[in-house]
Amino acid sequence: MESSNQLRMMVYASLCAALTAVGAFLAVPIGPVPIVLQNMFVYLAGLLLGGRWGLASVGVYLLTGACGLPVFAGGLGGIGRFVGPTGGYLIGYLPTVFLIGKIAQRAHPRMVTDVLAMICGTLVLYACGVSWLKIVSGMPLTKALALGMVPFLIGDAIKIAAAAAIAKALRPVLRIEKLRPCT
Amino acid sequence: MAELTSFSFHPGSSLLHKLDVRFKIFFLILISLISLGCGFTGLCILTGLLTALIMHSHLPLKSGFKEFRFFIILLLLILVARMLATPGTALFEIKSIAITRPGLMSGIRICWRLVVIALLGFLFVFTTRSSEIKAAVEWFLKPFKFIPAKHIATMMGLIVRFIPVILNQAKETAEAQRARCLENRKNPFYRLIRLGVPIIRRTFEQADRLIVAMEARCYSENRTDAILSATRIDWIALLIIFIICGGIVSI
Repeated sequence: MESSNQLRMMVYASLCAALTAVGAFLAVPIGPVPIVLQNMFVYLAGLLLGGRWGLASVGVYLLTGACGLPVFAGGLGGIGRFVGPTGGYLIGYLPTVFLIGKIAQRAHPRMVTDVLAMICGTLVLYACGVSWLKIVSGMPLTKALALGMVPFLIGDAIKIAAAAAIAKALRPVLRIEKLRPCT
Repeated sequence: MAELTSFSFHPGSSLLHKLDVRFKIFFLILISLISLGCGFTGLCILTGLLTALIMHSHLPLKSGFKEFRFFIILLLLILVARMLATPGTALFEIKSIAITRPGLMSGIRICWRLVVIALLGFLFVFTTRSSEIKAAVEWFLKPFKFIPAKHIATMMGLIVRFIPVILNQAKETAEAQRARCLENRKNPFYRLIRLGVPIIRRTFEQADRLIVAMEARCYSENRTDAILSATRIDWIALLIIFIICGGIVSI
């Protein structure tokens, strides 16, 4: 089972991108608002694959969507999504996943650093998403924040906690850890 | 994916089906950018063009509308925010909330623009095979030597292949958990972990099997792609689109 790392990481990155795509449709129905798993999978791509391959994963996901394949939320593909009101969040996934991967990779994997990395990533994500929402829809900043950030914060906190636990449970199983120095 | 959404390729013989993918991607980008800066007349022209194309290529608008539900809610939110936030002469007032004429106009313009862009994407996906898109992406990335185009094209193919695998896995996991009454646990944290771990672990195991299979079959990046060829129709379409876009910009 000794595969070349390049191919292995490439397939894993594609899988994470596909998980991100599917995450838009998977939801845990709790309370009035279901918890959508998409950004949890982006966090996990950063945590499990590291900065470089996480970035590749999200980059290819965005490119696939930009080319019109139906991988974005609501099934709508196309470059138009980047220009649309939620485009900032999509672009924001790139720095987010890279930051999470870099921070989590640097330290010896520990839950505290994972959570810290994800909090930093989330801040970057909302900085991109909300400012773009503000520009495109012309709303004042407070409205953009109220519409594009505040309703999701509790869900994000739960997702960050869950992602940290999932990463901890899966890292020994996936055997990515020992591959890292070679890639 | 097919059972999930009607936004996928449907075979046909319309003009859009025949056009070269590279041209279609170029049109998509061009019209998306143009629609950002144009006013009501430009939007009218674009909508007319789109309506003609939609009629011509028999787009299933009815099932498409179902997919648009959430998008429409988002549009309404933007419209309302725009109406209330823009100062100007009040059109009518309810108590202290005033709806202004410039606010209404700009709200309608923005929403119209977003609908045009969404319809464009819908049309493109509906008339283009994913293997063609893959080949076109490779062609577009070729000039950039530092980007491994072949790798990216392979990864895009893998993504599309993995999506049904993950969906099946998710369905199976959810059913198994329902059978074990996991739905009674209301703690979202617990539920997320119990759903996330098996899905990711099992799909990664399937990916492992795929890697072994790919290696066993001597996978390499040099493969035969779909052949792209530009015909006269493509150049004529390019000319027409250029004229329309030029007209819209000059208005």
